Amino acid sequence: MSDIALFGAIEIGLVYALVAVGVFLSFRILDFPDLTVDGSFPLGAAVCAVLLISGVNPWLASLAAGLAGAAAGLVTALLNVRFKILHLLASILTMIALFSVNLRVMGRPNVALLMQDTVLTPFYGLGLPDHVVRPLVVLVIVGVVVLLLARFLSSEFGLAMRATGVNARMARAQGVNTDAHIYSGIALSNGLCGLAGALFAQTNGFADVTTGIGTIVVGLAAVIVGETVLPARALLLTLVGCVAGSILYRLAVQLALTADVIGLQASDLNLVTALLVAVALILPRLKGKSRSARAAR
Amino acid sequence: MIVVKDIHVTFGRGTPLEKHALRGIGLTIPEGQFVTVIGSNGAGKSTFLGALAGDVLAEQGRIAIDECDVTRWDTPKRAGLVARVFQDPLAGSCATLTIEENMALAAARGRRRGLALALASERRGGFRDRIAALGLGLENRLHDRMGLLSGGQRQAVSLLMATLAGSKILLLDEHTAALDPATADFVLDLTRRIVRENRLTTLMVTHSMRQALDYGDRTLMLHEGRVVLDVAGTTRAGLDVPHLLALFAKQRGGEEISDDSLLIG
Repeated sequence: MSDIALFGAIEIGLVYALVAVGVFLSFRILDFPDLTVDGSFPLGAAVCAVLLISGVNPWLASLAAGLAGAAAGLVTALLNVRFKILHLLASILTMIALFSVNLRVMGRPNVALLMQDTVLTPFYGLGLPDHVVRPLVVLVIVGVVVLLLARFLSSEFGLAMRATGVNARMARAQGVNTDAHIYSGIALSNGLCGLAGALFAQTNGFADVTTGIGTIVVGLAAVIVGETVLPARALLLTLVGCVAGSILYRLAVQLALTADVIGLQASDLNLVTALLVAVALILPRLKGKSRSARAAR
Repeated sequence: MIVVKDIHVTFGRGTPLEKHALRGIGLTIPEGQFVTVIGSNGAGKSTFLGALAGDVLAEQGRIAIDECDVTRWDTPKRAGLVARVFQDPLAGSCATLTIEENMALAAARGRRRGLALALASERRGGFRDRIAALGLGLENRLHDRMGLLSGGQRQAVSLLMATLAGSKILLLDEHTAALDPATADFVLDLTRRIVRENRLTTLMVTHSMRQALDYGDRTLMLHEGRVVLDVAGTTRAGLDVPHLLALFAKQRGGEEISDDSLLIG
């Protein structure tokens, strides 16, 4: 693997680390399987790209992308909480709708960002090669997000959100408005995915309506890999595990695709991802089985 | 103080499974009274507690807690006034959160939850002292997950959690039914102590007639969504389990009892 490929894998891993953290929030903290991210990720990319082209400050454009993602999350939460649609189905509805919304936002299937200033522009030409600058900037952003999120989840509000996911009945009996926590948690989760989409558009130089496909699986893969390599209970460490999982996942994919002996090509990515997640989900079960079998003996 | 006026609750209205679970319950529970509630399965005991806690809203009638009309309040809103311990030890706490996190959750009951740290160090110290008073040695396990505790320990911590936010009403829904007899006795004694120390107005649903008479100052018997027996004071002191059993059988036999004095005499 070349230097550029290595840093490229780390960079994309860091961008998707925000998705991983978002997915961790919905799947693990709130116990809410949310597929909206397949739509909110490209939505963030689309909003950011369109705003950049019309000359908006890149940080503001990224913020707007995050807010757009959060709004998408609110729609899913509304369908589930207010109208009692099953969470999985509610999120699929939003996801499908967002495909059309994203086309509307961009006016065409993809938008190229060639000459536009991005959040990365000020850091180019400071002596480091571009392919190193990009992951570094994203790393700083991800680091800040992870620290803020860990602090948020340790607050009274965040603790109530965690309780909502673990035992909603108990949470309500303790005066927690569980509905409000589902709204804010799913909004936050998708806001992070929208921000990830914005960073994706800025680091890759384009927004495309199809980039969202499989986002949820990639995010979930990162969460699971993270939990496997860093089985921690402390919140901050778990979040760091999501980030590490996302990077490791990308490195593994990069290795698989560049190793000629295996004979894989780029279009096999989704198949490889699905297999990886399936294996990661099956392994702990097998491990538990062999352990209980040994205990029985 | 709890004032209940003629509440009705129906489940599955308009369906073949329609169940008129509460059919006009009305009573007043003065502040600090410890009421035990008995009745056969399906008598409406749990529904009655649920109606007080806000899990089910009464379609008719009024509920006032501490002179505050809460009839239309939902569970989280009532939680500032009402603390609860459930029958299932798993139901009353969060298994994957630590003991101190569970306590922090309960301590914020009825307050706005902001962005302040849930486990600030001074609060941790307070939790340690409170849990040490249980005498279970849990003060050194505050970082353990709640799921690691035994059923009895979890119910004891749940009782403690009920007192952290200063609400004055405690609802116990067969909170010792899932425990072995020795542990149940321990939890019941703890209940009595906590109720006394915090001067809580308490409703305890139980399946055991012995418990219903031994604990508290007043006993209610529910049957088919109505209060069929309401005794306190010397009349209650004169009652024994066989009397209750006889009454119970009479109810099940389907006889209508129109006058409460018949039951007591």
